[in-house]
Amino acid sequence: MTRSLLTLLLALAVPSAAAPDLSADALLRDHLWREVRQAAPARRPKIGLVLSAGSLRGVAHVGVIKVLVDAGFPIDVVAGTSMGAVIGSLYAGGLPLQRLWHIASTVTVGTGSDLSARRLISLLLYDQLLSSENTSKLISKELGGVRFDQTKKPFACVAMDAYTGEAVIFRDGELAPAVRASMNLPGIFRPLEYRHRYLVDGGVVDYIPVDAARLLGADWILASVTETDFTTARPKNVLESLNQVIDIRGAYLSREQRRQADFLIEPPVGDIGMFDAERAPEAIEKGVIAASSRILAAEENLILASIPLLAADWMGAEARK
Amino acid sequence: MSSAAAAAALLLILAAAPARAWRLWGEPSDKKIRPMQELSDTGKPAEVIAALTPQFVQTLRGTDLRQSYILLGDSLDSLGRPDEALAYYQLGVSLFPKNVDLLTRLGSILHRSGLDERAKIAFKEALRYEPRHWGAHLGLAEIDATLGFPDRAAEHYEIALETIDTRADVWRDYAGVLMAQGETKTAELALGRALALEPDNTDSTILLSFVLRARGDHAGAILRLDEALARGADAGARRAKALWLLESGRDAEAAAEAALVLSAIPDDAAALWVRARARLAAGETVNAYDDLSRAAGEPANTRFSARAARALRARIKDIQDQRLTQPRRR
Repeated sequence: MTRSLLTLLLALAVPSAAAPDLSADALLRDHLWREVRQAAPARRPKIGLVLSAGSLRGVAHVGVIKVLVDAGFPIDVVAGTSMGAVIGSLYAGGLPLQRLWHIASTVTVGTGSDLSARRLISLLLYDQLLSSENTSKLISKELGGVRFDQTKKPFACVAMDAYTGEAVIFRDGELAPAVRASMNLPGIFRPLEYRHRYLVDGGVVDYIPVDAARLLGADWILASVTETDFTTARPKNVLESLNQVIDIRGAYLSREQRRQADFLIEPPVGDIGMFDAERAPEAIEKGVIAASSRILAAEENLILASIPLLAADWMGAEARK
Repeated sequence: MSSAAAAAALLLILAAAPARAWRLWGEPSDKKIRPMQELSDTGKPAEVIAALTPQFVQTLRGTDLRQSYILLGDSLDSLGRPDEALAYYQLGVSLFPKNVDLLTRLGSILHRSGLDERAKIAFKEALRYEPRHWGAHLGLAEIDATLGFPDRAAEHYEIALETIDTRADVWRDYAGVLMAQGETKTAELALGRALALEPDNTDSTILLSFVLRARGDHAGAILRLDEALARGADAGARRAKALWLLESGRDAEAAAEAALVLSAIPDDAAALWVRARARLAAGETVNAYDDLSRAAGEPANTRFSARAARALRARIKDIQDQRLTQPRRR
């Protein structure tokens, strides 16, 4: 027994994970990160979290949010499109992370809609688009009938007006219908008539809504992007084909938006289809893993952006004159 | 005797004397492997490998055969040949898929090779047969901690520590994941266990200093760093002390610690940063600028500390330029 234990101990001997990194880079980062976290909002950039579209893949945003929260990232504003709007609204609305994780891990596209077989047949045979009403029901159930100005953090989401082709950025009024409009997949759900517009999913025109976060005043933006890997996806039916076309268009549109964000986290969820509900927990975990592997780089990026503002506090009175 | 009665009798034999019953199938026997095991126990991995020739292994059965794969894998691994060790563990697992010793070794070597997804499968398989196997839980704890799941890692460490509670390094790693979750009080207790086992361990003392700082106890944290330095901790601990003194507003002491680091490592970017900040606060802008220029190094230096120094230096220059271009007040 003792001999076996000893040999197993040797076999399992790996360097201790908890030995603190005392290099100049690690210690200085840790020190400055503390300063950024503790800085008054005026002494650091206003930080925006942007959550991309991506249908069911978008639940990976929850994993990203968890890592950011655990790292103490001071998120000031949130913007999202489509599934990013659903997750973002719940987070900005103050839903506890544990609850958000539970909702995301049990989500199906049918949670926000009705994609039962009977309704799908109705869609395909009788040309009757489905209702996305359950999305607004979900938001109302979890947050109550909140308005944009009542969320814990300022929030914006994007839909598209199907008559004009314009991106519509919602940041006031009732939260639930705006989120519903943002997650209103065209070709599957009936366009939503709201505020004199005919609204469909914002992913068609604003896949990574960096502009919405800027409108909320964000100076520094971290974007969580859950694009599809359309080079490997093989749609199996009409709905998946349609969704793939939207995703491809979104990917092309997002090229510029990627450049506009200050930092990107991209969970590798490209192979998860919009109806792979059983893979939702896997998507969230991939969000955690992707964000964990990038969190130190994100901290460094934000620290460097904050130093010009923090410097004023560091200078002596004489130098500040 | 009917066949049912015979079966019942056989079951009785098996239940009453399991060791004897195993011999019906020729199991177990570790007579042949024992000399190699002794070579392994006395730290002679090369001799183990030489003795366990393919021809010899072919003659082995049951426990002997299973142990031969473990010995070959362990020996190759200890000689720095993990790829070959992996092959033996894989072969062993394919022949003895329920053996937790082989499964945990396979998981461990996969984990060390960065193949965490496959390692997880091996560890979880081991837990199917032995749900509280400390080795499998330890492996899963390390993987979960690496991947960013400190909560799950903590649970695995807790189970592993039920068996290996004399391992100071595991108590320390457990404290690390607790700290990552913000459970600093429990982390402090875990480090207390680690330090009780190894009172002079500087890694545990330094981690405790981080825990205390996370709880806002800078004075306590700096005292712990002093303890670690007194026990021979390297310049890293002094570097941390200089930065934490700066955080506490003790600029002069911070600059003094930074000077000690710089006497050993003249271009230490963190120490230069500390001294620059102390000088900046004292109004010695030119000297601060010079320190930051040294920390910044060449423009091609992409290390974080160099980039941070460049960012602050650029800001100081902006402020100075603005002052020069502004009309003087009367």
